[in-house]
Amino acid sequence: MHILGAVCQMSDVLEDLGDAIGRLDSEEHVKTLLSAALSQGFSASEIVEKGVRKGLQTVGEKYEAGEYFLSELLYAGSLVEGLLRTLRPRMRDQELDREGVIVLGTVRGDIHDIGKNIFKMLADSSGFEVHDLGVDVDPAAFVGEAKKSNPDVLGLSALLTTTLVEMKNTVEVVRRAGVKSNLKILLGGNAVKKEFASQIGADAGALDAVEGLEICKRWMQK
Amino acid sequence: MTTQRDRFKAAIHFKKSDAMAWVEMFWDETVLRWLEDGLPAQRVTTLEWEMGRGGTALLNMPTVKGFNLNSYFGCIRFVGCLVPVDVGPMPRYKLQLLNETDRYQEFLTETGATARRSKTGEYSWYSMPMFVDFPVKDRETWYEYRKRLNPNDSRRYPKDWDAEAYARTFEMYQDGPTVVRFNGFYSFGAQLMGIPTFNLMFYKDPDLIHDMIDYWEYFTVETIRPAVEMLKDRIDLAFWWEDMADRHGPCISPKTFKEFLLPHYKRVTSFLSRHKIDRVIMDTDGNIKPMLDLLIEAGINGQWPLEVNAGMNAVELRKKYGEKLFLVGNLDKVELAKGGEAMRREVDSKVPVLKELGGYLPGADHLIPVEFTLERFKEYADYIKRYLPY
Repeated sequence: MHILGAVCQMSDVLEDLGDAIGRLDSEEHVKTLLSAALSQGFSASEIVEKGVRKGLQTVGEKYEAGEYFLSELLYAGSLVEGLLRTLRPRMRDQELDREGVIVLGTVRGDIHDIGKNIFKMLADSSGFEVHDLGVDVDPAAFVGEAKKSNPDVLGLSALLTTTLVEMKNTVEVVRRAGVKSNLKILLGGNAVKKEFASQIGADAGALDAVEGLEICKRWMQK
Repeated sequence: MTTQRDRFKAAIHFKKSDAMAWVEMFWDETVLRWLEDGLPAQRVTTLEWEMGRGGTALLNMPTVKGFNLNSYFGCIRFVGCLVPVDVGPMPRYKLQLLNETDRYQEFLTETGATARRSKTGEYSWYSMPMFVDFPVKDRETWYEYRKRLNPNDSRRYPKDWDAEAYARTFEMYQDGPTVVRFNGFYSFGAQLMGIPTFNLMFYKDPDLIHDMIDYWEYFTVETIRPAVEMLKDRIDLAFWWEDMADRHGPCISPKTFKEFLLPHYKRVTSFLSRHKIDRVIMDTDGNIKPMLDLLIEAGINGQWPLEVNAGMNAVELRKKYGEKLFLVGNLDKVELAKGGEAMRREVDSKVPVLKELGGYLPGADHLIPVEFTLERFKEYADYIKRYLPY
């Protein structure tokens, strides 16, 4: 038997990979399982859809359940990023089912991005096409990117309470520009309370990156 | 006469005094806005006498040192009288501007991080910078940084350090508690490596984290040792800065805390306790509830600021933990800043019940932010003062 065949059987290697990510196994073990999956002839997109995303789903569930925390989320993201570095060159764009398109950024006047970057990493690894405009983003830049990328979701982030007013302004500018009638606007960041979203005409406010991702997934299912 | 310090000490020991001590702290940007709005500068500006020009001129001059709104409003700040121990890197990094564009400035901070500051926006001249680079990235840079963390560096105590003389001065300060302040194991690592990298390293290089935390325990205990051993319970409170949680919960899991941090916490709190300093408050934003049992086991017995937006509720905590935790803050600053009925509802929902249960010092659930107007704060101050007397 091939040495990698001993690690896991053909039928369950993708399940094992997902479980390993969900358990936060070592990078070495996860890479071994990836090699096994590739050597057994699974395509990169199959590995992502049936292994990697399943693992991330487990991590998200454990985070929501209070078993995992920021540290675990970041490590899971790091594991998945490592896998995707190997898998991406093997994938053709059309091979992978895209969940949707997200345009993302921290609003003007705010230069903080830790939470935004965690959301980006999770969304990207979960199948969303993410266009990250960075920090301190002018409302006009959100409009410009939205016209170009035709997103399903516009994600606005703010850490500082003093920039909440800029979030409101951005929502108004984007809505006024009439980019897309069914564009969903998601707010995130420490300054944001859920009720604030409806007060300023956004569709939802997320308390953390995992919840933000779940909201995006729900929107895509409708 | 009962002083603010007496009231504070009574509350943290679950005793009742003639009145509750009301605790607030203010961002400097708030104070500056309020000065524009009519706060009398001569009543709140702090002057200190010192040798002129940082010790280069043999002139003794009154120098503006900051602002003290607490006596003006009748509240106290619990870091008003600090034991003067310097727990920073020695020597400091030289503060300097590294880059500047029309929108940002980047500068090297005294702790060796690179901070980016926005130059646009209404409050950007003051608001919180974004840290974009950190001095510790791996084992090699940690060993290099550690050279600046020598607890025996003579610069850690003031030039005029004389514990007995300081103790006498501390006794004269009755506007609040005397506090020894230091940085916790999580906050220290997050400051030196950045939040994402430090959190990741618990998994990617656990030996490095053990090494850093081992050293930080040694550094902390040895740095504060001369003050603690000499002053003992003339220090009312140890103030432990951590900031280890966000709205979802702690940044690390209870399991990780137990493995990496708990033994070190216990050794620091045991050291304090051996010297009769038995009140240790942790300063952490966010939802710290999943960690509270372990923190109590670690010897932490106070919590501030108990952020409402993160789901913290002092009434629930008091019912659950009884006298294991004294509590400070927890009045939603957003609701307080609205004034009127919203402010009164927030105060009424917590202060009367916690006043009876004891072990509580009312105040906003963090420093007073710039959005809180002077007029609304005066309204809040007038209202909460009605509740203070027993």
